[in-house]
Amino acid sequence: MSSLSITGVTKSFGTGPTATRAVDDVTLHVPHGSFTTVLGPSGCGKTTLLRLIAGFLVPDAGSIAFGDTTVAGDGVRPVPPQARHVGYVPQEGALFPHLDVAANIAFGLPGHARAGREGRERVAEMLDLVELPAHFADRRPDELSGGQQQRVALARSLAPQPAVVLLDEPFSSLDASLRGTTAIAVRRALAATGTTALLVTHDQNEALSLADQVAVMRGGRLVQSAPPAEVYLSPSDPQVAEFVGRAVVLPGTATDARATCALGEVVLSEAATGPVALMIRPEQVYVDLTHAEGVRGSVEEVSYYGHDCAVQVRLDDGTSVLARMAGVRHPVAGDTVHLRVTGLVRAYRPAGAP
Amino acid sequence: MAVLALVPLAYVASYVVAIGPVDLWQLLARPRIAELLRNTITLALACMAATSVLGVALAVLVERTDLPGRRLWHGLLVAPLAVPAFVNGYAWVSLDRGINGFGGAFAVVTLSYYPLVYLPVVAMLRRLDPALEETAFSLGHSRTRTFRTVVLPQLRPALLGGALLVGLHLLAEFGALSLLRFPTFTTAIYDQYGSTFNGAAATAMAVVLVLLCLVLLLADLRLRGDRRYARVGRGAARTAVPLALGRWRLPLLATVGGVVVLALGVPAFSLLRWLVAGTSTEFPVAELTEALVATLALALAGAVVTTLAAIPVVWLAVRHRGWASTVIERSTYVANALPGIVVGLALVVASLRLVPVVYQTAGLLVAAYAILFLPRAVVTVRAGLEQAPVVLDDVSHSLGLGPLATARRVTLPLIAPSLGAGAALVFLAISTELTATLMLSPIGTSTLATEFWSASSELRYGAAAPYALLLVLVSIPATVLLMRADSPAAQTERVPA
Amino acid sequence: MTTPPRRATPRTAVALAGSLLAASALSGCGVFGSPDLVVYNAQHEQLLDEIIPLFEEESGLDVELRHGKDLEMANQIVEEGEDSPADVFLTENSPAMTIVDNAGLFAELPESATATIPEQYVPADRTWTGFLARSTVAMYNTDTMTEADMPASILDFADPEWQGRVAFSPTGADFQAIVSAVLELEGEEATAEWLAGLKANGVIVQNNLVVMQSVDSGEVDAGIAYHYYWYRDRQENGTDSDTSALHFFGDQDPGAFLSISGAGILASSEKQDAAQEFVTWLTGTEAQQAMAESYALEYPLNPDASLNPEVKPFDELEPPAVDVANLNGPQVTDLMTAAGLL
Repeated sequence: MSSLSITGVTKSFGTGPTATRAVDDVTLHVPHGSFTTVLGPSGCGKTTLLRLIAGFLVPDAGSIAFGDTTVAGDGVRPVPPQARHVGYVPQEGALFPHLDVAANIAFGLPGHARAGREGRERVAEMLDLVELPAHFADRRPDELSGGQQQRVALARSLAPQPAVVLLDEPFSSLDASLRGTTAIAVRRALAATGTTALLVTHDQNEALSLADQVAVMRGGRLVQSAPPAEVYLSPSDPQVAEFVGRAVVLPGTATDARATCALGEVVLSEAATGPVALMIRPEQVYVDLTHAEGVRGSVEEVSYYGHDCAVQVRLDDGTSVLARMAGVRHPVAGDTVHLRVTGLVRAYRPAGAP
Repeated sequence: MAVLALVPLAYVASYVVAIGPVDLWQLLARPRIAELLRNTITLALACMAATSVLGVALAVLVERTDLPGRRLWHGLLVAPLAVPAFVNGYAWVSLDRGINGFGGAFAVVTLSYYPLVYLPVVAMLRRLDPALEETAFSLGHSRTRTFRTVVLPQLRPALLGGALLVGLHLLAEFGALSLLRFPTFTTAIYDQYGSTFNGAAATAMAVVLVLLCLVLLLADLRLRGDRRYARVGRGAARTAVPLALGRWRLPLLATVGGVVVLALGVPAFSLLRWLVAGTSTEFPVAELTEALVATLALALAGAVVTTLAAIPVVWLAVRHRGWASTVIERSTYVANALPGIVVGLALVVASLRLVPVVYQTAGLLVAAYAILFLPRAVVTVRAGLEQAPVVLDDVSHSLGLGPLATARRVTLPLIAPSLGAGAALVFLAISTELTATLMLSPIGTSTLATEFWSASSELRYGAAAPYALLLVLVSIPATVLLMRADSPAAQTERVPA
Repeated sequence: MTTPPRRATPRTAVALAGSLLAASALSGCGVFGSPDLVVYNAQHEQLLDEIIPLFEEESGLDVELRHGKDLEMANQIVEEGEDSPADVFLTENSPAMTIVDNAGLFAELPESATATIPEQYVPADRTWTGFLARSTVAMYNTDTMTEADMPASILDFADPEWQGRVAFSPTGADFQAIVSAVLELEGEEATAEWLAGLKANGVIVQNNLVVMQSVDSGEVDAGIAYHYYWYRDRQENGTDSDTSALHFFGDQDPGAFLSISGAGILASSEKQDAAQEFVTWLTGTEAQQAMAESYALEYPLNPDASLNPEVKPFDELEPPAVDVANLNGPQVTDLMTAAGLL
């Protein structure tokens, strides 16, 4: 086990005018034993980054190091993937269809360890780790559900005790119901083994809920890497804000730690002055059904999800605002409500401003 | 290997260059060539049209109507594929000598080849999403109008592909047409070969034959390209509601039965008759065994060589897509369009002039088989390698395995079934190959096909019967493989002439 | 995941290993082994299959036959040249021998090999020898024709009255030999005319057996072939000869041409002794008698051998005088190609 350091890594595809920079000067540190998710829309370069780390691709510039060992860049001859000791969990698991579960898990173990008691014990240990029953060892991949396949794929990657585990959108093909439980099982297994892990995803919920650190990529560049709450509540720019969750962005005017906008006065997380764009999460917008405190508006549309609901409100000044509230008691379209903002609000320089 | 596949083309091209346009023109601009051209083209067009009509009609009857016993009919309608066309020709001509010339050739070849249209059309009908038809009904279209406007257009690629295959087969057909006394380029080349070994006139005819084949091949490649985009989503879970035939039921049933009787019953009857007549006088167990052993040995060697040769071709085509790999893959298809007679002629000359050591060896014959049947192996193995996505290699590398270990522990085990299937198809194709075997078989080696040919062309019909029976028996497994209409082989089946 | 293929590794491996084994076994078990004598045979396969075992038994030599047609094999031997695997060449008809002889590829035969054969059937330089003879005939259907309706000369079949009534097999070496005799006796122009007439009149079939069938079934009135096809059928069950009869041309007509089957030894052969032993045996009384008594019914050239008396006796034939060493095969194929028969 070791940390993972990526420094100034760049990778382009194609040559000449049609060349595209898939990964552009990315620097990221994943501490030993921690879990980082790389979040970005499709085509942002996150999978390329992962393949560079795994060794399937060689960076044009920059370096990649596991702990103190540089595996690519810095004039070091790139270490081939089979010598990097990375665990790799691709999309849809990619279990070897001709091998049963036990043989899949034991695949990366040295020859002497694959056969015999040692191998069987390791397989059993790994199945236990990913929370699958021991008798699954004899099953074939096509007898497993998608989630089970992903757990076996993780077990397979962890069995040889890799330095780093890389997961490429491992849950994207699973049903919503399986996705959560599988993800939690994976996180527990990684935590139990103290494995350094990097997971690539386009799903913000997944990225935020699993990781110690979220790295947001856009157009090949790393735009923010921070703990999940910071990325969510204090995104580096409004686009990141809108990518990691629903956001209400309102123009306002700031004076030091406070600003005024259509939702009244809000408290800023960082002091600012003059015209700003304010990013408010819908769950920061409190919908008061009983008291006439705050800014008045009328409910246009309610989407009820059970555990909560989203309420679209048209303020008296015409601004449309999304609020999210617990689903216990909720308004219906046409109701008059009062809104106010709770918690700290992040202010950005408005678009087009110098 | 791909280079070897181009030997026949290179032979024809170098001949054209060597002889020069003037002499070539003199060899070509003569009444005999015009006669052969007329014969070849009219027979090809007539058979392509007849097999198309028959193939589509039978496929629709079996797949989309309430014809009684549809599953049984399907099996019986595919079964003629197990009877090599030259055996079918023998069966008919030995029954009635009046069956010959254009009429006889047209009838026998159509009855032999219609499954080449029938099979892909059936496969396409099964893959069509009935929702399309249901949508058409819901829009108020009648059943017949729906069939014409919705179903038929979608069958077009399968139909055209099958018809082109019939054309290619026909251009290469030697045995049946020779027995039925209808000269085409292939039989004429063989006759010239018999009189001059490798005379200029034979090669000049080969030039024309190759050009005809290339025309069909280009049409086929175009179609293949289109087909990739036109492919219909797999696995329509529901099947369309069968069309009620009503009062047409009995007449149509009789028609389908009639086709089966003509395509299967008559050859079976004729074969059995001669078998009984032949075995009552002599049953040459030793000769039969020897021919069978030689056939199986050659087929085995050819299947192994061809399948091994297919691996690098497929590897390049699937894993390293690029113009070079495409050219290599396609060049094997070009060879596939070349009739056995041209491949045989080219290898005789090339081996004599360039590598006399291999001349008249089993190795050269195996090379000819590899050239002729590489595409079958390529198509099958390709389907297998596509089942082994590159991500599995990535996983294996990440687990510490180098390229060789990955090939051994991941890729090979995964493509093994398709290697087996490819080898099986090639094996069976070789065991019924006639033309190239006649020209290239080593001294003292006779196969089922050559022994059958020698007996039937000397009108020893009874003596030919046991060989014909064995030829049919070895063809049955391939037919069963092909009956699974979805198998990739069904779309590229090449029956040797 | 797509449904993965089932595990098939061990079975496939076994199949592969098995086929490799079989391939190597093949090279050892004699199918590809090296024989004592290689004979390129353009004579009837069945005849050689009958008599070769006699020679093998007597000499203890192992003989391999490669079968083909006269001109195909002659041209093949010329093309193969010094590298030819053939030790001995046997033909149905002599024009093929001439092709090989003209290329200088035959070794001179030992006197013993030609001692029993009349000298007109051996070229002066003894590069090869005749060993069997066959007479040109016309067959006719006895329901539609009588002997009196048959023409005096084979050249008459080119007349328009024979339109659609005469069958022949231009791709066969036999017919090509007959053409070579016509060419030798009548010259190029007359031969080309005759071929053009036949192309217009004739029903083209793939071999002489079919000629006989077509005549016997009444599909045509007459056909050009050699004598033994009809006699063989009479001797067996007669189903293809019971409504037909033979018409022998007389008077040294080209249609009475007596074609000679030849045997020669390739100069390139490294097995001269075995080859000489074989050819000597082939012309000797024992083999000649064996062939005479076989199904073949061709005329043995060794006067000590006697043929079934049912066959028209050899000394009653009236063949034209043709130098057997001088029949031109290549010019015949050219003429026939020009006539559109090939």
